[in-house]
Amino acid sequence: MSWWTTLIKQETTRSRVLAVTLLTLLTLAITFILPPVADSELAGGAAIAIVILGLSWLIGWSGQISLGNSGFMAVGAYAAGIWAHHHTTTPLLFTFVLAIVAGGLSGLVIAIPSTRLRGPYLAGMTLAFSAAITPLAQNFTSVTGGEGGLFLNSLVTPHWFTNLFSGPNAAIDANAQWTADLAVVVAGVMFFIMANLFHSRVGRAMRLVRDNEVAAELMGVHLSRTRTMAFVIAAAFAGLGGALYSLLEASVRPETFPLTLSITLLTLMVLGGIGTLSGAVLGGIIFSFSATLVAHVNSLTGVNPTSNVGANMQGIIFGVLLIVTMLFAPRGLVSVKNPLRRLFRARPLMRSAKEVH
Amino acid sequence: MHNIFGGLAQGVIYSLVALSLVIIWQSTHVLNFAQGAMGMFATYIGMTEIDRGLGYWWCVVLSVLVGMALGGATERVLIRPLYGKPEINPIVVMVGFLGVLEALAAAIWTSTTRNITEPFSQIYYQSHGHLVFLSPFVIFQILLAMGIMLTIAALFRFTKLGLQLRASALAPEVSRLLGVRVSRMLTIGWILSAGVGAIAAVIVASGSFGLFPTNMDGIFVAGFIAAAVGGLESPIGAVAGGLLIGLAEQFILAYWSPNVAPLGGIIILVVALMIRPQGLFSKNVSRRV
Amino acid sequence: MFTGRLRRSTTLLSVSALTLGMVSTGLLTNSASGASATPGVTKTSITIGASVPLSGVAASYAPVSGAANAVFKYIDSKGGVNGRKIKYIRLDDCYDLASYGLGCTAGASVTTLSQNQALVAQDHVFATVGSLGTAAEESVLSYLKQNGVPQLFVNSGSSAWDQPSKYPNLFGFQTSYQAEGKIFARYIKSKYAGQTVGFIGQNDDFGANGFLGLQDGGLNIASANQLSYNAADAITGSSSDIQADVATLQTNKVQVVVLDSVPGFTAGILTVAKLLGYSPTWVISNVGADPTSVNNVGEAGAITLDYFPAVTNNSDPWIPWLRKVLLADKTDFPTFTSSSVITGNELYGAGFAVAFAETLKAEGKTVTRAGFVKELKSITLATPSTTPLKYSSSNHQGLQGGVIATIAPNGSLAPVKALLTNTTVFTTGNDKKSPIKVSTKLSVSAIPSWMK
Repeated sequence: MSWWTTLIKQETTRSRVLAVTLLTLLTLAITFILPPVADSELAGGAAIAIVILGLSWLIGWSGQISLGNSGFMAVGAYAAGIWAHHHTTTPLLFTFVLAIVAGGLSGLVIAIPSTRLRGPYLAGMTLAFSAAITPLAQNFTSVTGGEGGLFLNSLVTPHWFTNLFSGPNAAIDANAQWTADLAVVVAGVMFFIMANLFHSRVGRAMRLVRDNEVAAELMGVHLSRTRTMAFVIAAAFAGLGGALYSLLEASVRPETFPLTLSITLLTLMVLGGIGTLSGAVLGGIIFSFSATLVAHVNSLTGVNPTSNVGANMQGIIFGVLLIVTMLFAPRGLVSVKNPLRRLFRARPLMRSAKEVH
Repeated sequence: MHNIFGGLAQGVIYSLVALSLVIIWQSTHVLNFAQGAMGMFATYIGMTEIDRGLGYWWCVVLSVLVGMALGGATERVLIRPLYGKPEINPIVVMVGFLGVLEALAAAIWTSTTRNITEPFSQIYYQSHGHLVFLSPFVIFQILLAMGIMLTIAALFRFTKLGLQLRASALAPEVSRLLGVRVSRMLTIGWILSAGVGAIAAVIVASGSFGLFPTNMDGIFVAGFIAAAVGGLESPIGAVAGGLLIGLAEQFILAYWSPNVAPLGGIIILVVALMIRPQGLFSKNVSRRV
Repeated sequence: MFTGRLRRSTTLLSVSALTLGMVSTGLLTNSASGASATPGVTKTSITIGASVPLSGVAASYAPVSGAANAVFKYIDSKGGVNGRKIKYIRLDDCYDLASYGLGCTAGASVTTLSQNQALVAQDHVFATVGSLGTAAEESVLSYLKQNGVPQLFVNSGSSAWDQPSKYPNLFGFQTSYQAEGKIFARYIKSKYAGQTVGFIGQNDDFGANGFLGLQDGGLNIASANQLSYNAADAITGSSSDIQADVATLQTNKVQVVVLDSVPGFTAGILTVAKLLGYSPTWVISNVGADPTSVNNVGEAGAITLDYFPAVTNNSDPWIPWLRKVLLADKTDFPTFTSSSVITGNELYGAGFAVAFAETLKAEGKTVTRAGFVKELKSITLATPSTTPLKYSSSNHQGLQGGVIATIAPNGSLAPVKALLTNTTVFTTGNDKKSPIKVSTKLSVSAIPSWMK
């Protein structure tokens, strides 16, 4: 993995384009080999990876603990979903832009009272936000479709793509794969954007504010504006991820974005590695194939998957993994090679712009 | 306001949870995300003994004892190693613990809701044909919660143990010099907090909501908000915050719109933190980092 | 650090090669799986599937698909249909509420969509048959339509399955909530003329359609007596609404209460009413009237709509036939004995299973999806239901009425002597203007000889 992150961390835009393009092409190629159901799972993971990118930005690079990302996902998903439900011929790009804008706006709204807060109060504020989203969506039935939600049309597979496939199940395989490939491409684009943001002035200012407020202010960086920006960016990414996820499910419903999703996102981000791009990829992969992995664990240990133990194995494994990771490898599974690296070390007064995680 | 009792009843639950969070925060500066889940788990262990013929009140006692033991063990095993580390670490660990407890509870006892044959009737009283939202169970709930809170207050105020606990939280070095076993105090803080949380969980499980692995999730959120509103430094603030949120929920339901009720907590939090970012009842002016 | 052009071009080359390799492998292996032209159909078998709640909040409906499976197994034991054995794959979707927990053992990330994807893309089913749940099945309408998979005999009373132009391969089975409401209204107006009527319904399509039907039937319900509860509350069990709702109706001296609620909530309402000493006439939607789950609350005497004749009806040949079928299926019904009560759930499952098998038989040796749907819309089905089961280009709903029945103390349903001395059957369409037809003829038909 470090090979690719080295590529992505490049200073020049050209090498970043190359790295992200290669990674995306490789993933696309993998979708051709995977069976359709795995393709669908991969697509979901791609959407989640986008959200984790934003979360990493917020928690890792801006240092603000947020548990509100499932809420931002819901805002983006509902904004896009409500529009798409009523205007079924909207081009996909428009839907995505809508989700990004809606997500970003909700990030702005939450940021306003939040940037003065620290630690537990910030966590509490964002927690309250994401906890309120599901009941809100359930209650405003006329707008959100209430409990049942709104149903969206499945993504339409273009003919030229379907023609690549043959056999009696051609259409089914093509449909499943098209959605997966679309999701991977979108994720690739967002990764590229994030890599650029990381190296931009915005990114550097963000890290400076996180590490040393005094130095930042001396350098002329506006503290609360930077922190607000972090929320906006994270929420915009989350909104897009949420909209993409809903498109994959062909429905936007309250129960897709419960509070526990915020916790799951946190888990995946930590397991993958806080504040790393490859961590978001790893988190997405874990999300995609967690069900399959758990099924393997069940069969290895001889547990019946439909028993109480088997059905909850995923929760148990995730929780234990999270605890163990945090106690022994706080930088995530990516860094297991170097378990003794400290998460935060004494900072010099000014940080060089080139330093990365 | 027609359902002031309902607001109070819910409010005291939030107060209990908020209080338990504040006790832990004051002693160890950790946000215990698994607070609700720990109470739920202890309640499962205690309440399933009813099936074997143990009386309700004994089960309550058992649940609280199990909860306390769980709290102490958690502090020793999971939190001890994290002192001095960045503040996000214990948060994440407790989040993981929350997941494990809920999944484990579902694995052991299934996630089907259990309704405990409560000792008090839940049928509301009626006066002149209108429902007064007060039932024997609601009375029990309010009285028990207030009793616990007063006991805790008395413990902290009037006992030597309470003095030692407060000293360990405020000035650990000095306390150590004076012979207070600070690390033991930290564990005791967790034990007390978990006991309070267990009581809250027992009450919730005995009510119409019932016992199921995720039953404390929403209540934990409200309790957390209450603690933040009151200021994490202040036990009185926690209690007040809980009551405030409970009453506000009913207020919104009655006078605004049921649709907006979920926003109650966040509205109060925003208003409170804008008035006083360190919490309404907090004494110190400087902000926590 | 990334150094050198050589390294860069090597990477480029190797990635491109890998990519091309994977893409072509994927495409080639795809075409190699050249089975028969119609998915799920071979010379000796036909594979169908369903997403049903086998665990979780709606697990009480599990015997519905269980009975269907028993029917298919029975038919298979006699050689199948035109030489093909019917393979029925049932996947647990927990009513699409897996994330709520509440007893679900399918796994927290399971959804109705993911289970249907497994059925379609992995098991290559010919069609979904008897999937259950309104919101659950609505969530896969688009997916199944896009992939050309017929969605047959959806277990739900929503009128959403009756959209012949938009979803030509989608078919329901049971009488719609709206039609049921119309029939209830007719019955209440004739039998309980002049009495005050109230309504408690679920805050979704179920309650809304049911209420609409009552209005279409001309029933007047004062707005103070029109109450609803959130479906989510019914699921999580919070019941603060129940007492308030029941107390309101009691205070307003409502004498007849129509309930459009799921079994769990129905039981809660009846329990509270009993404790408050309130005993109006209860008229309960078929889906909420599951006698076994509400029996201990004393629902005896409550009125509902039944699609099937009473199990005590001795002239009905289907009852002993179904008993034989269920006894033979020890996997799905391990504790069923010759004296067990056959419930409405089992009759329901048998009802649509029989319809599927008959249509398949009528289609003949060559089975295609288009051919099956065409046959379904023209065939006259022999069915255990009290009203005809007749699909057409304008009716994809399925059953269009039933018999007014009361719930007997032992939990079975007994027909009410309604307007006439014989058992009266009511039928009506989903449309508001569609009239209610009354008949005394139970349409219970003979069992086809090849099925006996």
